[in-house]
Amino acid sequence: MKKLKIFMLLGLVALGACKEDFLDTEPKTQVTESNFYKTPDDAYKALVGCYDGLQTVWANGVSFPVASAVLSDNAFGGSGASDGFGYQMLDEFDPSRSPSDQNLFGPNWSSYYAAVYRCNVLINKMDQIDWTGSEELRNTYESEARFLRAFLYFDMVRVWGHIPLLTEPTAENIPQADPDSVYQVIAQDLKFAADNLPAVPYTAQDPATYGRVTKWAAESLLGRVYLYYTGYYGKSDLVGEVDKTQALAYQEDVIANGGFGLVEDYANLWPASLSNYAGEDNKETVFAIKYTYTSDYNGNTDGNHWLVMLGLREQAIYPYGNGWGMATVTPDLWNAYSTDDTRQAATIISVADDNLPFTNQSKQREYTGYYNKKYIPLVDENGNTLVDGLGIGSFQISQFQDFVSLRFADVLLMAAELGSPNAQSYFDAVRQRAYKDSFTALPVTESNLMKERRLEFAFEALRYWDLLRQGVDVAASTIAVTTTVQNAGNPATKTISASNIQQSNGLQQIPVDQITLSNGTLQQNPGW
Amino acid sequence: MDGNFSLEAASDAVLVVSYIGFKTQEVPVNGRSQINIALATDQELLEEVVVVGYGTQKKKLVTGATTQVTGEEIQKQSTTNALQALQGQAPGVQISSTSGQPGEGMRVLIRGVGTIANSSPLYVVDGVLTDNIDYLNPADIASIDVLKDAASAAIYGSQAANGVVLITTRQGKSGQPAKITFDTYYGLQNVARKVDLLNAREYGAIMNEAAVNSGKAPYFTNDEINALGTGSDWIDQMFVDNAVTQNYSLGAQGGSENSTFSASLSYTSQEGIVGGKALSNYERYNARLNTEHSFYNDIIKLGEHLTFAYIQSNGIGVGNQYNNSLRSAFNTSPFVPMYDEEGNFYDNSNSNWYTGEANPYAQMVYSNQNRRNNQRLLGDIYLLVEPIKNLTFRTSLGLNYAAGESRSYSPTYNLSAYAYNNVTSASQSLNKGKSLIWDNLLTYNFSLNENHGFEVMVGTSAYRNDGTSIYGSNTDLVLPGLDYAWLSNATNKDGGSISLTGAPYNDDRRMSYFGRLNYNYKETYLLNATFRADGSSRFAQGHRWGYFPSVSAGWIVSNEAFASSQSWLSYFKLRASWGQVGNQNIDFFQYLAPVNFANLNYIFGTKEGVLASGAYPSRLGNESLQWETSEQTDLGFDSRFLNGNLDVTFDWYQKTTKDWLIRAPILATAGAEAPFINGGDVKNTGIELAVSYSNNIGDFNYTVGVNGSYNKNEVGQIPTADGVVHGNPNQLFDNAAEFYRAANGQPIGYFWGLQTNGIFQSEEEVNSYTSGEGKLVQLNAAPGDLRYVDQNGDGLISTLDNVNIGNPNPDYTFGITLSANYKAFDFSLLASGVAGNQIVESYRNQANMYANYSSEILDRWHGPGSSTTIPRVTEDNRNWTRFSDLYIHDGDFLRINNLTVGYDLGKMFKKKFISQVRIYASVQNLYTLTKYEGMDPEIGYTDSFASGIDLGYYPRPRTVMIGANIKF
Repeated sequence: MKKLKIFMLLGLVALGACKEDFLDTEPKTQVTESNFYKTPDDAYKALVGCYDGLQTVWANGVSFPVASAVLSDNAFGGSGASDGFGYQMLDEFDPSRSPSDQNLFGPNWSSYYAAVYRCNVLINKMDQIDWTGSEELRNTYESEARFLRAFLYFDMVRVWGHIPLLTEPTAENIPQADPDSVYQVIAQDLKFAADNLPAVPYTAQDPATYGRVTKWAAESLLGRVYLYYTGYYGKSDLVGEVDKTQALAYQEDVIANGGFGLVEDYANLWPASLSNYAGEDNKETVFAIKYTYTSDYNGNTDGNHWLVMLGLREQAIYPYGNGWGMATVTPDLWNAYSTDDTRQAATIISVADDNLPFTNQSKQREYTGYYNKKYIPLVDENGNTLVDGLGIGSFQISQFQDFVSLRFADVLLMAAELGSPNAQSYFDAVRQRAYKDSFTALPVTESNLMKERRLEFAFEALRYWDLLRQGVDVAASTIAVTTTVQNAGNPATKTISASNIQQSNGLQQIPVDQITLSNGTLQQNPGW
Repeated sequence: MDGNFSLEAASDAVLVVSYIGFKTQEVPVNGRSQINIALATDQELLEEVVVVGYGTQKKKLVTGATTQVTGEEIQKQSTTNALQALQGQAPGVQISSTSGQPGEGMRVLIRGVGTIANSSPLYVVDGVLTDNIDYLNPADIASIDVLKDAASAAIYGSQAANGVVLITTRQGKSGQPAKITFDTYYGLQNVARKVDLLNAREYGAIMNEAAVNSGKAPYFTNDEINALGTGSDWIDQMFVDNAVTQNYSLGAQGGSENSTFSASLSYTSQEGIVGGKALSNYERYNARLNTEHSFYNDIIKLGEHLTFAYIQSNGIGVGNQYNNSLRSAFNTSPFVPMYDEEGNFYDNSNSNWYTGEANPYAQMVYSNQNRRNNQRLLGDIYLLVEPIKNLTFRTSLGLNYAAGESRSYSPTYNLSAYAYNNVTSASQSLNKGKSLIWDNLLTYNFSLNENHGFEVMVGTSAYRNDGTSIYGSNTDLVLPGLDYAWLSNATNKDGGSISLTGAPYNDDRRMSYFGRLNYNYKETYLLNATFRADGSSRFAQGHRWGYFPSVSAGWIVSNEAFASSQSWLSYFKLRASWGQVGNQNIDFFQYLAPVNFANLNYIFGTKEGVLASGAYPSRLGNESLQWETSEQTDLGFDSRFLNGNLDVTFDWYQKTTKDWLIRAPILATAGAEAPFINGGDVKNTGIELAVSYSNNIGDFNYTVGVNGSYNKNEVGQIPTADGVVHGNPNQLFDNAAEFYRAANGQPIGYFWGLQTNGIFQSEEEVNSYTSGEGKLVQLNAAPGDLRYVDQNGDGLISTLDNVNIGNPNPDYTFGITLSANYKAFDFSLLASGVAGNQIVESYRNQANMYANYSSEILDRWHGPGSSTTIPRVTEDNRNWTRFSDLYIHDGDFLRINNLTVGYDLGKMFKKKFISQVRIYASVQNLYTLTKYEGMDPEIGYTDSFASGIDLGYYPRPRTVMIGANIKF
């Protein structure tokens, strides 16, 4: 009886042991990598994730458009009179201007790689997905993901020059790659996209798909990559992938079959033209990064977070909105335009000529009296931000102006530069739109093209790279300047020295935190 | 016990009266024919029992390192949180407040920091596992037993790597008359010490100097400086005086032959000294009922414990630099007025000094409009069956149910260019969850030949935890005000401003089997062995089970023949133990690579605000993730000398925790969040000593106790490429670089920065600071700047010159207890402290040239020879933007936690129905002896695995209180 009782009790204890699958659990609000990437729907979601990655790369740190403007001879650093000197450090290529800024581009470096990761995962999962019934989608999605990857790497390799190259996701500590390898991947990705995306002209494109990568975007970007690589590195073709004839052929294809055109009036390309604005995704937009007002502080990064950097320093004057006054426009750029060039007024806000009652000179560093007009927050007649009531209504993160990365005018000028038989007529078309009735023809030469590009594309993240691709010496001597600006209302001398630019070869600081994390595998760029 | 007896003895004889559990007394007859003798209870009852895992054990037979603090000792400290009362009472246990705000938790470290992940111990209340005991009223606690070494904690296996704290709530006792108790206290709290900031005149002068030092013209003329006056004193504005704290507990306890019960009802409240009752407040209602009934002559016992707590609170932000409401008081200049002409908070957006700063008090008021309440129901029901003598089977089902809700309101306001809100918003959140634990234990005691005692136990335990939470927020409320901040009052219809989330808690499951063997020979030679197997759902299949053995032995030397004749030695036990325990407390599903769908929208097409949603795998997975294991060896002794008056306990331990579950910061090129990996280890070696002496001079009884511990913490091999686990940047001020890390051969969370070597007093000194090759090491330095040590001799000052400049882990922690009583008076004092640690003080946001300074800056360098410690001020804060020992301060302190004087009126009038009416007065946090100039050196606030960071720490108040303990 005693033994029976003991066994009964032991049995009861054993009951307390549950089955092994008691310990099996699964996340309810999370899908995992192994059960995702099965259907074309999954692929589309992943693709949208890649586009979202693109939307986040300029939300923090210094955005590419603002940095490109500051680095060039079109703008000074600007910023508030009491801010840190990070933008001066950029403008003057001089780390001693702001020694504590060791990670000015830190958030950008991280965001770019995070976006590249998303593209890499999707591209490498293409085989895992079951495409039956929608085989053509595979090529389309893969082309779009590869275009986005190429777009991201092209920004990175221009800014930092020496970057780790990843074509599949890994957590390993990868050393920086030879720029040639990076350009090779960029070229191959863009060629794949150009060859595999359907040739649907803009005029026939479903408006609900505006913002998606198109064949024309890939072909145009190839032209830009070709010109930059051959110029900056002094090579004769794009790493053996694309030669000059092919590059030109791509541009001609866009011109002939893309369905694009030049918007009538240059000023109407930009929202500051108010009721005359041609709108987002107009016929001149070949590729744009699209933003909207749904950003918030809970992790949604959908808006144009860098627009506020370019607003008038803490003062709104209808229709121009307040912001932080970065990238103040150089008088040099204003004077480069002739007075009958309609682009002057469309590109630059002149406090004096527009009679704006701007009173915050004392809060502005490197005040020049000129601000950029293409990308700027806007307000209504009462001085309220136009995003009031949209999303969280923040003038800082709810801005939704798209960034037009590639315009048809650029395609025309690139074709001219690449030696198109129609070079002169392309050149004339762009200039005619700018000068209207005061148009007089100019021969299409290398130097006239470059001058025209400056006037046409100010603040579109092109000038600095156009200078660099003419050679670091050209860039250095063009940007170097000693002039007077107003710091907090007082005149001050502003010096940018050519030697700083030459020392760095035009490249930017690699975030020091990443170098530390890599334990020395990554090396800082010279001059930083 | 009213025993009468008679015996014959010579008139000069000495009677020796003794009884087990009572102190032996020698009473000389002295010719008396009637002698009344009252024996005093032995302070260390030899049959005293301590709580060990899944049971109890006679204290004299314990072979592990455990410390017990009784409920009375805890309650005597009159604290809101029982853990705060434990400070300084248990050697080897370092307890610090994470913030002085009422209701905030305590950081408990047992024998040093063992991991870079969660280092909190496991809490077990009456056998139910929980992760914090803040809900308990100290009056409900009968005892707290801390299991410090692996042998005593191994029975809890996979959750015991950081030690175990066992709490037993009060039980009734059979055969005792019913007792009713009423305890109450009422106290007023004030800030003990404030930091002195610059007033407007001093601030203006420093701003001028910073401008001049940066090559600009000064902002103010001398006349203007003189006219500046004092301006706003923000530290003063943030604190309130005489914040109230009070407690009322009514308890009843009793038992009959077959049933016992213990019940209580209590209310505790504590207002905060920062912000006052409206912004910082904590109230707790508790109800408890513990009962036990026996049937069939004690063969079957059925019992339950149940505690219910209802807690209402609201609080200000006490987190990192972006969530710390007090911090803005340190940074806002005195120029900002508190109110404008109409009596509203001043709107600084049009300031002609700096539009980016706002009234910090107003910011605190506007950003902390919230109400929170949560409920906890914790208890168990158990059945004990003893079918054969000494064979018991116990089964229990425990429940830990927690529910909470919170509500917040954000008003419209305009305080500065950055601090504004244009639309009212409200948020509501609800959560509830429960954990169930089902334990089965089978115990058998038997002895062979009278000398060999055995106790064998086998058991199982199954645990599961689940719950749900929901959150909503919306904007544009119909009526303004926290009272109307409900989602139904929000009129906004635009999806972009509405936030809605809801999710279940991740399922947490554990399954365990364990066993224990206790053996003693003549209660002199002791041996104990335990083994536990744990399976946890947090790891991938195939990697779920961990095995945790332990063994310990003891030798009661004082029972040996050679020792028992020594009269000065009443008790001496040598013990040694070794064991392995584990830590499975990581985030859920770390071994998977989850695909994230949130916040991944893009916009295609022509309509703004119409989004397409995306997905991507947001973290890399790691299938082979394993447990963290901790292996600990302990050697020690417990002893009593001098007739039981002197009590000494000593332990030496070595604890190695390895296979950390670390999320080593990953390179940006990986593109996703890092997975967890196993790697890295830390060794904590130390000594604990507790000495207490008690005696009496006639009716004056006194006890003096001192306890302390020494701990050395050293990290071993970290498996990442650079051998370092990096700390978080952006903690000390905007965009601050990393300043703490864990690295091989250093203590965890050590401060990593530049070492300074004085200040350059002149241009010559700058020019003479050259490297080996004659290069100027700091070529941009000017007189007044810090001279940094070029550790690697490369002629440059960079992060390569960063070294260990401070350690947040104290070398020593100690406590002192004094208590005395004389007739009806009683007195007690408890002091505790730490030594050998450093604190990083970073009040000022160095990215802001307009931030205010503490008055320490008046000692800055402003001319040759004016200072060798504090450098010159500049607008780019260049001497502060690189982390150096300028930020490091010694954090040693000794704090008088509690000083109490009491008087028992009940001893004066001996009424039958009242046995004690003790009234008392106490001061808490009477004085803190420290060199640290901040408001409170006990910085329990942690960021990841770093501690000792003062970002504007909400200090612990000084409380003056009166109270009463009444027993009927």
